[in-house]
Amino acid sequence: MQTIDSKRRWTLRDIIFLAIIAIFFGIIYQVWSYAYYALAATPLKPFANDLTLGVWIMAGPLAGVLLRKPGAGFMGEFLAATVEMLLFSSWGAANLITGVTEGTGAELGFATTGYRHWGALGLFFSTLWSTIITFAWDWFQSGYQDYRVSLLVILLIIRFLSIGFFAGILVDWIAKLVGQTGLMKNK
Amino acid sequence: MIDLKLEQLTFEYDDHQLFEGLNFQLQPGTFGLLTGPSGCGKSTMLKLLAGLLPQYGGTITSGQATLNGLPLGKIVPFQRASKVAMLFQHPSRQFALATVREQVSFALANLQMEKAALEKRVSQTLEWLGISHLADRQVHTLSGGEQQRAALACVLAMDSGVILLDEPFANVDAPGRQQLLADLKRLQAERGKTILLADHDLNGYRGVADRWYQLSKQHRLSVSSVNDLPTTTPIAPVKRQQLQTGRLSASHLRVTVGSRVLIDDGQLVIPQGQLGLLSGDNGAGKSTLFATLSRQHNYDGQLLFDQQPARRFPLKKWALTIGWVFQNSTDQLIAIKAADELAASRAHSLRPEYWTEQRCKQAAQQLGIADCLDQVSYQLSGGQQKKLQILSMLVMAQPVMLLDEPFAGLDADSLRVVIRLLKQVAGELQVGMLIISHQRVGVVDWLDYEVRLANHHLTLLEGDDHND
Amino acid sequence: MITMTKTRGLNPTTLVLIIVSIGLCTSFIRSVALNVAVIIGSLMYLLFLRVPFKKTIIILLVALPLALGSWLSFYFFGTEDRWHVAWIYGSRVYAYLTLALTLTLTTSAKMILLSLHQHLKLPNTFVYGVLAALNMFHRLKSAFRQVRYSAMLRGQAYHLWQPRFYLRLIIIALNWSGDLAMAMTSQGFTEGADRTELVSEHLPWWQYLLVVVLLVAYLWLALDNCPW
Repeated sequence: MQTIDSKRRWTLRDIIFLAIIAIFFGIIYQVWSYAYYALAATPLKPFANDLTLGVWIMAGPLAGVLLRKPGAGFMGEFLAATVEMLLFSSWGAANLITGVTEGTGAELGFATTGYRHWGALGLFFSTLWSTIITFAWDWFQSGYQDYRVSLLVILLIIRFLSIGFFAGILVDWIAKLVGQTGLMKNK
Repeated sequence: MIDLKLEQLTFEYDDHQLFEGLNFQLQPGTFGLLTGPSGCGKSTMLKLLAGLLPQYGGTITSGQATLNGLPLGKIVPFQRASKVAMLFQHPSRQFALATVREQVSFALANLQMEKAALEKRVSQTLEWLGISHLADRQVHTLSGGEQQRAALACVLAMDSGVILLDEPFANVDAPGRQQLLADLKRLQAERGKTILLADHDLNGYRGVADRWYQLSKQHRLSVSSVNDLPTTTPIAPVKRQQLQTGRLSASHLRVTVGSRVLIDDGQLVIPQGQLGLLSGDNGAGKSTLFATLSRQHNYDGQLLFDQQPARRFPLKKWALTIGWVFQNSTDQLIAIKAADELAASRAHSLRPEYWTEQRCKQAAQQLGIADCLDQVSYQLSGGQQKKLQILSMLVMAQPVMLLDEPFAGLDADSLRVVIRLLKQVAGELQVGMLIISHQRVGVVDWLDYEVRLANHHLTLLEGDDHND
Repeated sequence: MITMTKTRGLNPTTLVLIIVSIGLCTSFIRSVALNVAVIIGSLMYLLFLRVPFKKTIIILLVALPLALGSWLSFYFFGTEDRWHVAWIYGSRVYAYLTLALTLTLTTSAKMILLSLHQHLKLPNTFVYGVLAALNMFHRLKSAFRQVRYSAMLRGQAYHLWQPRFYLRLIIIALNWSGDLAMAMTSQGFTEGADRTELVSEHLPWWQYLLVVVLLVAYLWLALDNCPW
């Protein structure tokens, strides 16, 4: 009988857990997307993008701090994007591809700490990497290369604030709350 | 022959010990009933026997659970499943796939059964249970009873010798329960299956169970004689009082779930300042009626509050008109600390002049939760959570309150305190309360009327109609 | 019968490969003509498979604000050649969308996952874990509603920035994932073990070739002399 290192391995429960979280995020996006849509139909779309980006990429860092396994950051975000495409899709293929980039951003943060810090430090790096990678990605995909420099600077700042708050500070608060309930311990 | 046992087993969850030196041996070919108050560890014991714990939480610190001499945890699930399998409390959380046929096939594919044989086995099993007509139905459209039979089909198809059932009737109506019990009895008689079923309700097992195990609140196991199982309990009647007028009323109410009709042409008025019992079989739709009155479930017909159609109220306003005490306490918690839970209610209470800090404190003391208010709600015991939940909602003081199983998991003393408090608040604040409670003993004496949901109809019972 | 739910048209794995490769190219190559070609190609495939007309139109209309927003933002904030750039990014929204519709409108999540398992070795734990969660969708939706309603019952509302709100959802995810995983384990599901493959769909070699041909054609058109 082989021994199993369940700290590192992906269990069925982990996958279902992340997939359910992903579905919840899908529902959240649906419920709160009206505000986004209202803004996104105007020339202010890039602002809508960058202002809400933090919410779109929360699933990754959240998965990381809850499961504390290498790969969780990536998996959490990628699953959220996939579920979003399968169930709700107004983004289509972009979902799948951005899911990979956003997941990579979240994962790199925890990897930077050598997978030793799953708290604030890991999250800080995760927001940093996410900002860099998603911005680089939007340079091509969303055509940021064709915006004026002044706009780009504003967008980059907005993006970092959004990601910093939702995917950083808020996720840290959530993790602390979950810790207080003691519910993850018997998992 | 299957030899399944717990030997001197000590098991603990992260923070507390549950079993200490527990011994148990399953008698092959028997139909065992396992009972005990909520929180006594019935579910944990079954999951240990099924080999699901400690894989899914907790630690065995000494002793072991064995199947034919081998530690259960060392047997891979696909081999274990053909010996021991389990049915769970939440019927809907047992299906990975969309249809019954797919799910049974999934189970057999896990056992690596060859495809042709598998398809034959699936059909045979569904036929044996008489549920071939459900084969290609979407699982989420099935009733609780049908879902449990579908789960039973998986177990039966895998030919597991031992069938463990953890409160399988919690969401199953009376005919569904009868059907499932008959299936199990037949499996025991015709297929020699060993059955162990956990239930908090002792009714209906006389002549069915041939072993009766009891777990005490202190997690001690004892064996009782099945002859001591209750025959049929006499139903304690509610003595109907003079009813007052009500502000919430429903007429020609029609409620459906998928294609199933739960309520047809229902009439209901909830009198102010009084306590009513909403009775009916499990799965008849009592909780769904509460969801409907709370506008969390679609309906046809008329729903009025103070003669105003419900749909004219914004949902936010409605939530402050019709209170709803959920069946599951933790679903109601919006804060982390117990004290914050009460503070949150006080901050938004509709009757702040009544619910002074003094009165809140007093109520908490009566309920015996005053000393644990500085704790995290999620770490309280089930009974404490329940009392905290009820008090939090009472402080909100909506003019109408729907309470779904508010006495579940409470001991006799707590129950008395809770119902006295309900009665007092209902009278003093003129709140109309409607209560779902499977427990009648110690409850009905306090109530003013009973509404029964049966055969899709809501009936206000006459005071002397109970004895038939 | 599981084995009879055949996917119409191309194998889901083929479609995933096309979506990812062409989608990736679309992200980097700035061409209205190629975007339109992708849109037309995808729509023709959908037409060929006779997907529900009304549903498709609705999905396309819902995305209109997004495309319009892209168009407008580049028209106003673009640097040079704003007219052209606006059309590139406006049409790109639809290129992504129609590309994915070739998959989401013609097959099911289950068939996609099983196909990826069969042809690209996606682990069963992942396949059945995700499937189990997706099949709970209706219930998860009502659980979500109940969480929001529980706050309203206390005169409050949950907001996106409140950690307490996410905590509630996480608790549900924890409980339900545990229950589901235990039930599946009790039904013999074993992580990493072999199981009988009930669904097997042949993936002919020409479909792999098709992916390569489409990709090469796209890149050739794009790089040789990028059309407008």
